[in-house]
Amino acid sequence: MSNRRTALKNIAASTAGILSISEVFAATEKALGPNLKGKINHSVCKWCYNSIPLETFAQECKKIGISSIELLGPADWPILKKYGLTCALPNGAGMGIEKGFNDLANHDELVKSYEDIFPKLKDAGYTTVICFSGNRRGMSDIDGMRNSAIGLRRLMPSAEKHGVTMIMELLNSKVNHKDYMCDHTSWGAGLCEMVGSENFKLLYDIYHMSIMEGDVIATIKKYHKYIAHYHTGGVPGRNEIDEGQELYYPAIMKAIAETGFKGFVAQEFIPKREPIASLKQCVEICDIA
Amino acid sequence: MNKVASRRSILKKVVAGTGMLTFPISLSEAFAASEKALGPKLNGKINHSVCKWCYGKIPLDTFAQDCKKIGLKSIELLGPEEWPVIKKYGLTCALPWGEGLTKSIDKGFNDPANHDELVKGFEDVIPKVRAAGYDKIICFSGNRRGMSDADGMRNCAVGIKRLIPIAEKHNVTLVMELLNSKVNHRDYMCDRTEWGAALCEMIGSEKFKLLYDIYHMQIQEGDVIATIKKYHKYIAHYHTGGVPGRNEIDETQELYYPSIMKAIIDTGYKGFVGQEFIPSRKDDLASLKQGVTICDIA
Repeated sequence: MSNRRTALKNIAASTAGILSISEVFAATEKALGPNLKGKINHSVCKWCYNSIPLETFAQECKKIGISSIELLGPADWPILKKYGLTCALPNGAGMGIEKGFNDLANHDELVKSYEDIFPKLKDAGYTTVICFSGNRRGMSDIDGMRNSAIGLRRLMPSAEKHGVTMIMELLNSKVNHKDYMCDHTSWGAGLCEMVGSENFKLLYDIYHMSIMEGDVIATIKKYHKYIAHYHTGGVPGRNEIDEGQELYYPAIMKAIAETGFKGFVAQEFIPKREPIASLKQCVEICDIA
Repeated sequence: MNKVASRRSILKKVVAGTGMLTFPISLSEAFAASEKALGPKLNGKINHSVCKWCYGKIPLDTFAQDCKKIGLKSIELLGPEEWPVIKKYGLTCALPWGEGLTKSIDKGFNDPANHDELVKGFEDVIPKVRAAGYDKIICFSGNRRGMSDADGMRNCAVGIKRLIPIAEKHNVTLVMELLNSKVNHRDYMCDRTEWGAALCEMIGSEKFKLLYDIYHMQIQEGDVIATIKKYHKYIAHYHTGGVPGRNEIDETQELYYPSIMKAIIDTGYKGFVGQEFIPSRKDDLASLKQGVTICDIA
């Protein structure tokens, strides 16, 4: 707080009678640059900005300082490359969220689908791909974990060969994805141990997990070695991650950085306001020093 | 917060003030702004209380005077012998506690073996609560000890129903605390809001309600605002605390308390919010003041 007060005083002192307030703002933006601090690698999920064409969106992201747009498949990757952006978490394989690795009946199709995308990911220079557990449909946690491990293990040799980590998303089954199985961090971590490869990890979605189990920072600290990616979102409502919701994201980002995380944090909120301004705001909220 | 971040956000706030752009303000900015704007006066939307046990070293007499200065109206989790001390300073006790087994956390209403002693204890203290001008008393479920949720709920209802006539007669509400069973109170039974809400329905009296502890419930189940919106009619009291760690509720922890306070007020809540964090900094009263200010929404 003293920092803020001092900063305000300094700004006031150094600008009094010289620059207008908008000039000060412009000068500072220029001095600090559109560049972000580099402690958090920022990504964004394209689907939250569906009405904006990818080309336009890529340029907007560049301006904000975002280095990745994600949840995009092979057809969209060349557009990202054109703007020097990466895809921190590609999609393009699998059978959707509800049909996943927890059902043995899906394994042949899933294996084929992921075997097909691994070389494409490697060629594009990407190192991750999203996957899902599927819904429970009456299955026990233990059986679903064992089934998921059996299917994922079939893919690990190829994933390792292509340098691709399969990342299973943790989703809430309370509000958005009723009956989804991978809905608790402890279950996902158990599955990671069962698969037993560094090429299978979790996507900890802060929005989904705060709805489902709370205790965000302690959970991240406990399970971070199983986590390869993070998503954001305001709780409740999945909108802007600002003061309109219950989580204080800077403290969560600090905890993530302190685990030694070098991957990406992707904004995955649905903007209620002007979408690009909201995106910029939320990237800045997460951009801890 | 670091200097660059501070500089950026202050600038943005300043610019926002000119009408060019709007940015959210951080907790510390909110604190600084309201401190400056309001001085020691509070907004009156939230009724502020504090749990004495978090300031164990400070004598109650001294603490009461400090609380007055901050603008708190209540010091809570105090027993009959302490009530005269706070009365002296015009403070109330938003959530008193009794003596003996009635304030035991791990032995409570979920075990019929405790019922006779609990009934006797509460029958003794409830008239005292009334006589002091208070209208609540804290109670606990007790630990599970292998008991199912359903059996524990039924046992609690059987025991608490014995007290409802006297509670109604004296206009005193029994308030059962929701606690996390994951970190602080292993095996405690009343650890989920939905379980507590169902117990309220089973008892079927307005004289039995829940204490939703924001710290405990964020650790145990998350989804704070949605849970409060869903179950507020069963909730008669709130506690705070930073998650994780149970320290200051400021920017060092994961919850944004002003939003949660706003959600509580939006439910029409007229009761108290009790600060129940353990100050991690040396100046514990400065931390208390900060916590109150963070919750003091306009």
